[in-house]
Amino acid sequence: MADREVDQQLVERVQRGDKHAFDLLVSKYQRKLGRLISRFVKDPAEAEDVTQDAFIKAYRALPGFRGESAFYTWLYRIGINTAKNHLLANKRRPPTSTPFDSEDSESFEEASLLREVTTPENELMSKQVVDVVQTSLQQLPEDLRSALTLREIEGLSYEEIATVMNCPIGTVRSRIFRAREAVAENLRPLLETSKGNRW
Amino acid sequence: MDGELFEDEAEGLFDRIGRGTDAHKDWELYHLIGDALRQPDHIHCDLSARVREQMRDEPTVLAPRSHTVKRKVRTVALSAAASLAAVGVVAWMSQQIGSETLPQMALQKNAIRPVSMQIQSRSNDYLMAHQEFSPSTDMNGGASYIRMVSYGPEGK
Repeated sequence: MADREVDQQLVERVQRGDKHAFDLLVSKYQRKLGRLISRFVKDPAEAEDVTQDAFIKAYRALPGFRGESAFYTWLYRIGINTAKNHLLANKRRPPTSTPFDSEDSESFEEASLLREVTTPENELMSKQVVDVVQTSLQQLPEDLRSALTLREIEGLSYEEIATVMNCPIGTVRSRIFRAREAVAENLRPLLETSKGNRW
Repeated sequence: MDGELFEDEAEGLFDRIGRGTDAHKDWELYHLIGDALRQPDHIHCDLSARVREQMRDEPTVLAPRSHTVKRKVRTVALSAAASLAAVGVVAWMSQQIGSETLPQMALQKNAIRPVSMQIQSRSNDYLMAHQEFSPSTDMNGGASYIRMVSYGPEGK
């Protein structure tokens, strides 16, 4: 079952009145959408508000989503429109030449042109989260590190990872799970100490 | 979360990821780890609580079921039509083949005669004389000779 189909199942649950399924979609896409919106709305706090608005608009519009495009494509389009409307409402011009199209939004993750958008209050925490994740990744045994890197950074499927690592898919599944758990173990104490904001 | 679920597992899994459960926390944490690896320059705090708070005042959305139902009905109808068409084609083909082959088989049946009636006694001598040139000799050893002998009594 492809990622897109998992999203579609969650969307259908929301369409049947399951608000919690929308929580799962928010958790999954909030940072990707936030990063996209920050291309338009430069102020970090405003960008977070616009991201939140975009999710609410998406929720309201979900009954009309037919699944003809991927959910994230549709969501990113709403995000871009919300950001542009926000700028227009504040009499600011949206960027005239946007170097991307919402159809290709997934590939924006590779762009390195984004400026720092973390709020001053959260900047230290963001840095710590990234540091812990990176350090934990480096401390993993080679096979676990490779499996997680191939999955999260290179975006390979389990089948492709199995081919690259020359091992059964079951082994790939187990390695990725163990790698994530090892990183999560190091991350949990940090997140529990952060007060106010959930991460 | 990696798009590696089996279809029948998904519904059960989403039921288990209830709000506030360990499974839900893991879902959030694993996505944070993925985002931290992919876009370390843009990690912000979790917005889902804020979105959830705002959604509390939102009426629950309910999509008309026609989309999914229509799609499923269309899929079932198309599958049924394809199956019927396949059965029809197979039946038609078998009818065509049946009508051509039956007379041939009937003709062949009439043409069959016991082997012993066709073999003349003089051919036994010929076969005996050329037995050593038979390609089956090497393979079967004495078997070909035994066959020749078996025709013997009828020829006499």
